[in-house]
Amino acid sequence: MADKITLRRVLRLLAISAKMDLVWLLRDTKFAMIGVLGDIISNLGTVAGIFLIAARFNGIGGMSADEVLFMMAYSTLVSGIFTTFGTGNNIHISRIIGRGQLEHLFIQPLPLGVQLATNGFSPFTSGKMLVGVALMAIAVSRLRLRISFLWVVALIAYLLTTMTIIVARSYLVSSMAFYAPVAMEEISNTAIEDAWLISTFPLSGMPAFIQIPLLTILPEGLVAWFPSLCLLGKPPLNLSPYYPMLFALFITLIAGYVFKRGLNYYVRKGANRYVPYGFRR
Amino acid sequence: MSGKAQTDMSHTDSAVSVSGVTKVFTQWQRDNTGRGLLRNLLKPEKRVITALDDLSFQVGKGEFVAYAGPNGAGKSTTMKVLSGMLLPSSGEISVLSMSPQKQRHALMKYLGVLFGNRTELWWDHPVIQSFEWKKVVWDIPDDMYKRNLDVVTELLDIGDLLKTFARELSLGQRMRADLAMLLLHSPMLILLDEPTLGLDVMAKRQMIGFLKELNKRDGTTIIVTSHDMDDLEEMARRILLISGGRITFDGDFASLRGELGNTKRALVSFSDGSRREIDYQDTRKLLRELADMEGVVDISFTQTSLEEGLVNLFAKWRQNGIADDQLT
Repeated sequence: MADKITLRRVLRLLAISAKMDLVWLLRDTKFAMIGVLGDIISNLGTVAGIFLIAARFNGIGGMSADEVLFMMAYSTLVSGIFTTFGTGNNIHISRIIGRGQLEHLFIQPLPLGVQLATNGFSPFTSGKMLVGVALMAIAVSRLRLRISFLWVVALIAYLLTTMTIIVARSYLVSSMAFYAPVAMEEISNTAIEDAWLISTFPLSGMPAFIQIPLLTILPEGLVAWFPSLCLLGKPPLNLSPYYPMLFALFITLIAGYVFKRGLNYYVRKGANRYVPYGFRR
Repeated sequence: MSGKAQTDMSHTDSAVSVSGVTKVFTQWQRDNTGRGLLRNLLKPEKRVITALDDLSFQVGKGEFVAYAGPNGAGKSTTMKVLSGMLLPSSGEISVLSMSPQKQRHALMKYLGVLFGNRTELWWDHPVIQSFEWKKVVWDIPDDMYKRNLDVVTELLDIGDLLKTFARELSLGQRMRADLAMLLLHSPMLILLDEPTLGLDVMAKRQMIGFLKELNKRDGTTIIVTSHDMDDLEEMARRILLISGGRITFDGDFASLRGELGNTKRALVSFSDGSRREIDYQDTRKLLRELADMEGVVDISFTQTSLEEGLVNLFAKWRQNGIADDQLT
């Protein structure tokens, strides 16, 4: 029987990933710092663009400039969590599948889920997280929000929900790489990163035929806009503030089913396309 | 590992048991003509490939087995099926009394797998970092890790490589580091797919010597594939030949030579400086033939390489199909 997966074991796995991230950073601190700094500048640039438009026109679609800043801070925090836990292509899983590299994971004495949840943990090289925390502090201060324990719990719950939606969506689209590894190797990146810009745009004031698809079919509205308005006590479209949680559950169930089917196909069909780069940092 | 699994393992002398395993793949076929593209849209052409065809064999604990065959014979597919990377279409597989498909996590604590064309080392980290990563992921106890690290460092001569980044290693160094990492958890069974691929003579000698020592000293069961028959003959005591997804020979190397025939060769030198190679089976007949020859000044005897015999055999298999050519 396999070893029991305890919390201690998971923490040790996260710790070794964190240690490797740190030594990777310290290996060549100059270039690592340039990388982190570049990340921060790029993130601030994205935020600044939309915030300056909101400031110039006294808000966007009924959201004040500070509310837009809060939304951007939320989006940056999500992006920070993504890079903190997903550096090893474990979230952009289509790359591992498409390159035939799942076999590296199959020979480890751990359940696949545990490996994927822990092997991309990089807390030291994620500059976005710092930007997100700083922006959130500024936005909260400018909005003069009263921060209670429950509000912090709600923030964490929404961040987890958003991450769940992103990861589930990535795994859902990545499942295509089981069947078409070459064509779909980058599908996760396309679906998540390339669509990220939409998620940083305030959807308030947009017509319903744009808002509703962005909360269902292409759920970019759930990445920042909807949860940040919920945290500000203004859930849009008269929807329940629990809608993102329900959607996260729904998409996770679908993604889990589709991914499992794809995985079964993979172990039956095998991968004849092994690419020896990309999986290992 | 549970007590039950440990008990199971101690009850049997079999490290690997493969029974009636078949693995079928489907390949898409396409051509680039306009008609072909249209046909591909409407009714794609598929070809069914039987990689393993009712394959059966057993490997006992402590054996060192060579697994050989021509390209596409099913060697790598067998390795992948044994290590739980692929599901067989049908048949039963037991590795260390566990099912690679149903008990993968448990099995991987006792199994070591190395494919010559890929690395398990972290590319952009020093070798020792990959070893430490393995210690955590495999949950290797401190004393076992230290003991094994000392042993592999000395026997594989990787002391100078531990602080080097994996991406900066030569192929031979990388293979030694990969092999060292493979052994850190004291695997009971090792599956090696083309471990000498691309290695120079020195690196190959070092690798072969180490594997033989490992098998002899620790009783580790080793199954190794290679296209180099001389390497395999030097390493292993038993050879399984596979072709068309089926075992076509199972025995020792001497028996294989006997089966292949034409394995003895006389090199005859003449007074005019010319030389002639004579492959023979019957020594008396050869001596009579030599007695009739004029100007013989020297004769040396040797064995033809296994590879030469197998080249002819594999070619014959390709021509005639495997069914009529099975040696056992």
